Amino acid sequence: MHRLSNGLVILGERMDYVRSVSFNLLTPGGAALLPDGCGGAGSILCDWLFRGAGTRTSRQLIDALDGLGIHHSASVNTNHLTLSGALEAGNLEPAIELFADILLAPALCADQFEPARDLAVQELAAMDDDPRSKVMMLLHEQYYPDPLGRPGQGKTEELEAMTAVRCAAIAAQLRDPSRMIFSIAGCYDFDKVCRQLEKYFGRLTPQQHKAVDPTPKTISYTHTPNDGAQVHIGLMTAIPPISAGHYYETMAAVTVLSGSMSSRLFTEVREKRGLCYAVGARYHTLRDWAGVSCYAGTTPDKAQQTLDVTWEQFQRLKDGITADELQRTQVGLKSSLIMQSESSGSRAAGIAGDYFLLGRVRPLEEIRQAIEKLTVASIGAFLQAHPFETFTAVTIGPKEIQV
Amino acid sequence: MEFKHRQLDNGLTVIGELNPNAQSAAVGFFIRTGSRDETPAVSGVSHFLEHMMFKGTDGLSALEVNEAFDRLGAKFNAFTSEENTVYYAAVLPEYLEAVTEVWTQLMRPSLRQDDFDMEKQVILEEIAMYLDMPDFLVFDRGRELYFGAHPCGNSVLGSVESITALTSGQMREYFTRRYAPNNMTLACCGNVDFETICKLAEKKCGRWAPEQVGRDLPGHQSRPQKHHDKKDNLNRRHVALYSPSVSMQDDRWYAAKLLSVIVGDASGSRYFWSLVDPAIADTAMMDLASMDGTGALCSYVCCDPRNAGQVEGILNGIFESLAKDGVEESELTAARNKVLSSIVLKSEQPMGRLVSLGFNWVYRSEYLSVAQDVEHIRAITIEDIRRLITEFDPRGYTLYSLGPQ
Repeated sequence: MHRLSNGLVILGERMDYVRSVSFNLLTPGGAALLPDGCGGAGSILCDWLFRGAGTRTSRQLIDALDGLGIHHSASVNTNHLTLSGALEAGNLEPAIELFADILLAPALCADQFEPARDLAVQELAAMDDDPRSKVMMLLHEQYYPDPLGRPGQGKTEELEAMTAVRCAAIAAQLRDPSRMIFSIAGCYDFDKVCRQLEKYFGRLTPQQHKAVDPTPKTISYTHTPNDGAQVHIGLMTAIPPISAGHYYETMAAVTVLSGSMSSRLFTEVREKRGLCYAVGARYHTLRDWAGVSCYAGTTPDKAQQTLDVTWEQFQRLKDGITADELQRTQVGLKSSLIMQSESSGSRAAGIAGDYFLLGRVRPLEEIRQAIEKLTVASIGAFLQAHPFETFTAVTIGPKEIQV
Repeated sequence: MEFKHRQLDNGLTVIGELNPNAQSAAVGFFIRTGSRDETPAVSGVSHFLEHMMFKGTDGLSALEVNEAFDRLGAKFNAFTSEENTVYYAAVLPEYLEAVTEVWTQLMRPSLRQDDFDMEKQVILEEIAMYLDMPDFLVFDRGRELYFGAHPCGNSVLGSVESITALTSGQMREYFTRRYAPNNMTLACCGNVDFETICKLAEKKCGRWAPEQVGRDLPGHQSRPQKHHDKKDNLNRRHVALYSPSVSMQDDRWYAAKLLSVIVGDASGSRYFWSLVDPAIADTAMMDLASMDGTGALCSYVCCDPRNAGQVEGILNGIFESLAKDGVEESELTAARNKVLSSIVLKSEQPMGRLVSLGFNWVYRSEYLSVAQDVEHIRAITIEDIRRLITEFDPRGYTLYSLGPQ
């Protein structure tokens, strides 16, 4: 790790035997950090930033990225607008130069704003045709305190009200080095990368910003009618965030519930009752808030039973887990860990996430040891202290359910 | 990297790509069977059978199967396409033998009636799930329209009617015919001890009886068609396009792959600049779907229903210009770099290599290293692509669309 004098954090993990390199540039453009009424500005910027930068026009920029074979993307979550790249290691230096241009010197031409916004509006409209993704977006929004649940995509009315001038001002907010993280993994030279970043980003100065003050919500269930084939059910329930120090117990509990095909949800909902094809739960953590979210899709007549059987599995966890479940969980978590260590993309994202959420990067060996230390008793005690008691639910489909 | 190959007396092929530096290993059974090998009476049986293979053997219940995989920390699953059914797992090297042993057991399943009845419900749910995914649905129905009576138009999932009517007896008969050792390949890669896997295969699979097994490979003459279905609950127009292209066995496969990237990659392609950049469509992409003895270029576009006419006009313009002027050197260079970089990223994990390794063998009975793949891609010229466009004219496409109007 290296920190520039203006606060920009550089994290690197060198990987033997890979020929690729992946990097992420996290900037403070997450949905929760945008001014009220500006939702979706990040989604517009993910496109607009790539429409010309430095001395390059839109077409020259894309041609330059493609010419280097960079797999590039931009995305928005609660806290960050992230620019990502992955490529064969030989082209890293010019790739970083292009990304620096995109963030530091985007053209942001007014005539390119309209198509960028139009695409953001269309992508949001396309979510109506993807009820499975939409139900999870609505679920996060309903579960998390405002503004932490705000979707990166924004609302149609916000996108329509956004102007090029306001959006460009938000682009300037991204260039706050005190809230930027650059992470890199794979085949590269760390010192060289640091020197290059110092050259481009060293001149930035930290910005003043307002702390986010979340307001909890109390909505328990909402339904959106849709004349589709299935009822898409999303539910989310409280669990401590990663920073609270129970990460491994939480991961173990979620793995027992839904980590694989011998997990409880798969066994009880799909294998024994044939209620669903898709059912699964996952741990989602922000810095100070977290939850376990669950998705199930089923035909209308089975929707109520699906919800009831699913929630019963959550509640049963407070009675603890078995020694067999612990063994399967430990070996499953360790094997995921080692397989991630073979992928530069997974590691670049992993170290950035660790740093943002915990203020440090956990070495893989520390994670492995913590997984090995888990016991039936430690997980049981955690689940007793944090039983799943209430949940937030969202459904989309032809039929409402009783919650 | 070292390649190894062995064939058992009953025809089962074992192949391996050995990389002693890998942290993990992957293994899979590739069965040369899929929806194109089905008759209408058993439509969807290949995919339903894939689910049933996880239900266990005479000595192993479904729950015990799942627990056995999970005890080994295996990342395992299966998929069924028009012409292949693939079962795979990625594990740490010390568990490779054990996970392969589980697969060899599962390849001779019980297919119990009560499991069959329960899993039928899951399959019907899966069919319902895809009905709510218009981006999947247009491809499925578009392929059916394009291939017509040709078996490659058969639906992988089958229909509610065909699945409801299917019996376990019909499934057993299909299993016996298609899951013969001479129709199967066992592939492994990564940190692998090949001799151990061969010995295991000999011991566990050596007594499986071979069958007369084949596949109809009728030619396909496509006749351009257009069809639109109205679906009231949709917001967008979803469009699928199919036009003829090369088969998996064709030497021009690399040229066709590069052409699909030039025309329809998510970034910097002709579709991107003509449709996505000006916000006429929010998604527009093209992919190469090569199959056994035939192939297609297929495209997907999602747009506002009001833009549907304009989108079609632009697509026609792109195909006209391809037919008239071919592609430019700069486009080919960018496509080449993108494909090479994908290969490098994908081949870093044994699981990423397994499917290419297996399919190369299933379709072409040959091994291609990553380095050979790279060489093939570097060798393609704009002249190769021009010849390809002349032979497979993209203007002769079939279009299927779904939308609210």
